Amino acid sequence: MAERIAIVGVGQTIHKSRRPDVTTAELCAEAVEAALADAQMTMKDIDHVVLGSFEVADGYFNPDKWIIPEIGAVGKAGFEIQNVGTTGGVTAAASFNLAATGMFDAVLCLAWQKMDEAAGAFSRGGGGANEYWMGQFPMSPITNFARRAYSYIDRSGCTEEHIAMVRVKQDQCAMKNPCAQLRLGLTIEKVMNDVLLAWPIRRLHMCPTTAGAAAVIVCPEARAKKVTDKPVWVEDWFTCHQGGALTMAEDPTASTLRYACDVVYKRCGITNPLKEIQAWEVYEPASPAELRWMEEVGICDDYTAWKLFEQGKVGIDKEIPFNPSGGVTATNPIGCTPVVRLVEAALQVRGDAGEHQIPGKIERALATGYGGQGENVIMMLRKTA
Amino acid sequence: MSTDQKQEQEFIQFRYPRQVPYQHSLGYQSKFANGLKQGRILATKCPVCGRCTIPPRIVCPFHHVKQTEWVDQGQRGRLVSAFKINFPMFDPRTRELQSWETPLVAVELEGGASMDGWCSELDTSKLKTGMLLEAVWRPEEERQGRGDDILHWKPVEE
Repeated sequence: MAERIAIVGVGQTIHKSRRPDVTTAELCAEAVEAALADAQMTMKDIDHVVLGSFEVADGYFNPDKWIIPEIGAVGKAGFEIQNVGTTGGVTAAASFNLAATGMFDAVLCLAWQKMDEAAGAFSRGGGGANEYWMGQFPMSPITNFARRAYSYIDRSGCTEEHIAMVRVKQDQCAMKNPCAQLRLGLTIEKVMNDVLLAWPIRRLHMCPTTAGAAAVIVCPEARAKKVTDKPVWVEDWFTCHQGGALTMAEDPTASTLRYACDVVYKRCGITNPLKEIQAWEVYEPASPAELRWMEEVGICDDYTAWKLFEQGKVGIDKEIPFNPSGGVTATNPIGCTPVVRLVEAALQVRGDAGEHQIPGKIERALATGYGGQGENVIMMLRKTA
Repeated sequence: MSTDQKQEQEFIQFRYPRQVPYQHSLGYQSKFANGLKQGRILATKCPVCGRCTIPPRIVCPFHHVKQTEWVDQGQRGRLVSAFKINFPMFDPRTRELQSWETPLVAVELEGGASMDGWCSELDTSKLKTGMLLEAVWRPEEERQGRGDDILHWKPVEE
């Protein structure tokens, strides 16, 4: 029988486009120190570390060999894992799995990406499930979401202006989050007139490249209660990969988000997600993705999310508090991004999010990681045990 | 030390122009690549659900059975989605400039499989979901078993 587990400490760097002042390992140490301080622990209290980064974007192979000494974890149990955009998600899920065995007292989950060092790796995503075939087409995260948005507009009746509304909402949230990278003071007009990358995707609609790191400390129940009086319980988690089983040529909107959420909702007994989940940190790599994701997580019916933006129902202090941190379009240290979602969701549950705190009691918060052609990691947090 | 305490110009970023050559085996997909050289679009077919797949897969991802049947998908299909990128893109494997000035389309072929390609119609407002498209091939001697053996998909009057 698995142990119940809780997050007892979270930390993240202030996310920036460039950090030439630090090495990758120093950047990681910033996040680890912040998480340990938050948990009022030292590295001595940690008995397992799980590290995650999207290695191709670092240009380092086995970066854990370098980072482990820098964060003071020499001799501890640990490993590094990667899974493209969901890297942070699988790093967190592996940490949860380890803590739930009861074999470890405190597991440190650390993910990072210093994209000022190899942002070129993201000029296109291409290969994915089939390097030979997909690598031939000019495919990238930009074209992935241009294709999704084309089909979304085609099927829903939403306009470019609605997508701009999503971006402006994200920016309004980011303006209140001191850790967010892009805090721009956007207007609909500014977004609509931005450089067009691939219709309807404009530069501002795409997630930026970010140098950042984030860390979370997870403990089994008995230890968690000793460490903190504000444990954030990890109620459930699920990693779901389709590995391009369904190609985007077949279904341009293909994603596993709905399927993965349904699995977790069923296990948690959630029947009305909008009522039972009070905070959402859902990995949206581009503004139009947020519309489809809101439908897939069960907030509204298919192809209607744009109407909620038109009605002004989405925002930190609105009916639907979706991505109060400003989300991924404001901050995206890619392999680390799902851990940023987890940190932000945990802060919301604790009531420690500061200016971007959602008003009222947060009983449940949902954080997700997204990657590649539709993979998703679901992390459900809870205030009461 | 915080970022503010340090002056950015003190710090050096070192540039590595790393090059790593790869040779990936196509394996069973060679049949598909050879088909392209002959001007044919071949897809694997699942014996359980009948789903045809491009790029071909040796097993059906949904039923995990071997797909031994190959089906010629014909030369025509219907448009699933279309978009155009406004900046040049390079194939990071070969450093070749990719064909980016024509819209990228997903096409559902007569044989049931769907695939990516380029479209000869440059005005994306004229591209409608469900419209009929036909493959226009590169001359046979220039084909290499690659995606751009099909130069583009041309809209067909109905």
